[in-house]
Amino acid sequence: MSSSRRLNDSAPPDITIELDGVSVPARSGEPLAAALIAANHSPFSRSVKYHRPRGAYCLEAACSNCLMRVDGVPNVYTCRTAARQGQRLERQNSFPSAKLDVFSITDWFFPNGLNHHELFAGVPIAQEVMATVARQLAGLGTLPDQPAPPRPEAEVRTVEVAIVGAGPSGLAASSELTARGIAHQLFERESFVGGRALTSVPALDVPLPAATALLGHVVVGLFDDEGGLFLAVVTGWKENSPRLLKVYAKTMVIAMGGHPQLPKFLNNDLPGIYAGRAVARLIRRHQVLPGQRVAVVGEPAECGALASLVQSVGGEAVAVGGTPLAAHGLERVTGVTLTLAGSEQTVDCDVLAVCEPVAPSFELARQGGARVRFDGRNFVVEADADGRTGNPHLFVCGEQTGPQSLEASMASGRRVAQAIAEGGS
Amino acid sequence: MSAGLSRLGKTLVCSCEDVTAEDVEAAVAKGYTDIESVKRYTGFGTGMCQGKQCLTCVARLLGRDRPDQVMPFTPRPPLVPTELSLWASAPVDTSRPGVGGVPAALGVTPGVHPLKPEHPVPSRARVVIIGGGIMGLALAHNLARRGETDVVVLEKGYLCHGASGRNGGGVRMQWGTATNIELAQRSIELMKGFAREMGINIWLRQGGYLFLAKSTQIARKLEKSAALHNQHGVGTRLLSPDGARDLVPELQLDGVQLAAFNPDDGVIFPWAFLWGYAQACQKAGVKVETFTRVTGFEQSAGRITKVITDRGEIACEAVVLAAGAWSPSVAALAGVRLPNEPHRHEICSSEPLKPFLGPLVSVLDSGLYFSQSMRGEIVGGMGDPLEPAGMELGSTMRFLTRYSRAITELMPITGRLRILRQWAGPYDVTPDNSPLLGRTPGLPNLLQMSGFVGHGFMMAPAVAERMAQWMTTGHPDELFTRFSLGRFAEGRLEREDMIIG
Repeated sequence: MSSSRRLNDSAPPDITIELDGVSVPARSGEPLAAALIAANHSPFSRSVKYHRPRGAYCLEAACSNCLMRVDGVPNVYTCRTAARQGQRLERQNSFPSAKLDVFSITDWFFPNGLNHHELFAGVPIAQEVMATVARQLAGLGTLPDQPAPPRPEAEVRTVEVAIVGAGPSGLAASSELTARGIAHQLFERESFVGGRALTSVPALDVPLPAATALLGHVVVGLFDDEGGLFLAVVTGWKENSPRLLKVYAKTMVIAMGGHPQLPKFLNNDLPGIYAGRAVARLIRRHQVLPGQRVAVVGEPAECGALASLVQSVGGEAVAVGGTPLAAHGLERVTGVTLTLAGSEQTVDCDVLAVCEPVAPSFELARQGGARVRFDGRNFVVEADADGRTGNPHLFVCGEQTGPQSLEASMASGRRVAQAIAEGGS
Repeated sequence: MSAGLSRLGKTLVCSCEDVTAEDVEAAVAKGYTDIESVKRYTGFGTGMCQGKQCLTCVARLLGRDRPDQVMPFTPRPPLVPTELSLWASAPVDTSRPGVGGVPAALGVTPGVHPLKPEHPVPSRARVVIIGGGIMGLALAHNLARRGETDVVVLEKGYLCHGASGRNGGGVRMQWGTATNIELAQRSIELMKGFAREMGINIWLRQGGYLFLAKSTQIARKLEKSAALHNQHGVGTRLLSPDGARDLVPELQLDGVQLAAFNPDDGVIFPWAFLWGYAQACQKAGVKVETFTRVTGFEQSAGRITKVITDRGEIACEAVVLAAGAWSPSVAALAGVRLPNEPHRHEICSSEPLKPFLGPLVSVLDSGLYFSQSMRGEIVGGMGDPLEPAGMELGSTMRFLTRYSRAITELMPITGRLRILRQWAGPYDVTPDNSPLLGRTPGLPNLLQMSGFVGHGFMMAPAVAERMAQWMTTGHPDELFTRFSLGRFAEGRLEREDMIIG
């Protein structure tokens, strides 16, 4: 059952990592999470309160399901950490093991949830016992084994224009700025450019704009000080020697796209449930099919494209489209009840891929003073047609202003670059 | 809806903190309808992903009827959990005051809040309390217990929006003056009974406060205050650096001369404290009006006769100004000049870890402090001696760097921990670090209750008890003459110097 596997034409694993003492084959440099999924390891973790089993969900560091202790460091995103020979991975927050976690009794004991504000409040003895127990149960992971090695002094640099995100819109903006001779730097957290054009569906059928990006550069904050607006950027992850950059820019362009959300249905957190984009990423980037029978639910166009992708690599699309009502399974998903074309049906599956437009990742733009409003579906960054926000030094493009097509994202990136060029920045 | 072999049904909205859709509905049913309050009450959005996965889902639940009323949370940098060792590596110029803070443009409550209720405030009340923080709510509760329920509490934001919702939750008896020691002792006693009285857990954990002194001058101060503590029955012990290391083995104590430890100090969960008081107030008939701003006062014959708000006027017999660092700007509306100044104090929280740190640790020389919350996060801050006065509440990288350098030097293992979020709150600073309590010269029915210099949370239960007694019985209480606003004109200062953070 479940039967996730590496695709036939993919390079074979060349290294070994260790999960709770068990050897796991991996491909050097792939995300740890991809190696664990390929080798059918589940769950990844236990949840903090009810100790429910969790598997990787978004593969974009926008949830916490895939966190593990890696080489003695707690709470490491396995979806963002490249596999290296001999790494030691440990599941957290479970006793005696994540597979058989005695604290998962909490989930059954409190079927209607646990109100920590009122539980045993003021009950003599019970209150004290609970406080002690709660403290022992709280927290995720334990102290690191070792202090951090000394970090190099942060580098400070100043650029004319900084672009955050080398997805379709960021690449288009960069390519247009280059064409107009405007100096800039493009920061990309992944080890490749192209963003969702390479990690989701549908694929882009025109070439991506050409641009040079600083890869593996994770923007962790946007601040200001006496020198003006600056980005805090962490790089050097690949070499396992992270360092901080402080990047001042006269003009900032935020092109970070969005985060996959967790849609609301019963047992939506079971292992084997993935964001649609995560399934596409596993297949397209990592040549891993996370399960043989894939139920693809949610937004119709994306469902159709993802179902085709699954079938093209030998998987079965056991449902295409529809709204999920409940996922079934004890330790991982084994089926889903959904409504499709007005009727309710239950299908067996190994993977439930939930296709939903991402929610704009507005956080950085908002830290820079852009206004954000709720449009009934999403928080979107307010910007004019040229991507100008309330802060004259801050532009946004692509899905920052709401879900949109790849073509629309690229067009918005070009417009931002034109506006910057014409503004004489 | 459920079928076959399945887990018991739960619909998660925040998988980091195990918050279900039912939890959100329950919070709304309790009256916590804005996103900041729902976040605080349910804990959604406070885990490792910091709301990336859940905020939109919750907004959709809350915004079904009025999407225009839904705002995202206040920005809480950083965007990605980032190691203290990296923040510590940034350059910082500590010879000059810092500039900026994100997002400067947002402020705390910009303009009229979209959640401002449409119905007017009550047209009269015997007592109007301005400020729905810990002071105002604790006072309202104590007035109600004494039978005075004709009280309206005005709060310009949501509950917990001001400094009461932004502090580290530390409560201690280790103070430098007899009055503060006694007030803190009484407060902690009241905190112990809070859950029984209010039906809500505040998670008081008495892990002690461990003060460290690096300079001889500060070491002398610890010695002096420890003697005073012991006179008042507080069990403060002076410790050598080795003794401090026995309590917290991870400390690196080069340069530390002396430590002081009182095992009965501790930390609480601040938000539940406000909710408990507010719920008890409302049960007793006190009106707690959130998202309501005071815009002026009507005065006649040397008394305040009406409080004017953006939701109508309230005729009243007495007004209590308990707006913390916002008090001077409210007092100015009545033509009263207060000597308090707001000062930004920044604070941050790490990823949650299993318990390893018992006491709250503080270096009295620098103001660095940190403790481990019930949830396992290391919550801490460090005041900036060059911070200019002003109501600036933006977050800075300067703070992250200063704090990270200080805490990683003292406790090197923390260099590997990651900062999940940072925020700021205003200290309400008076010229002598002591509060303003009692009548206002020239406006005797305007009562002051502010100026607690970032430490009001732990004083509130006891101060409110005394103030309600003084207000309802008329019995003289030296607290309200000693700390009156008039002392500054009389040149009679009451200096407290055990201030941290």
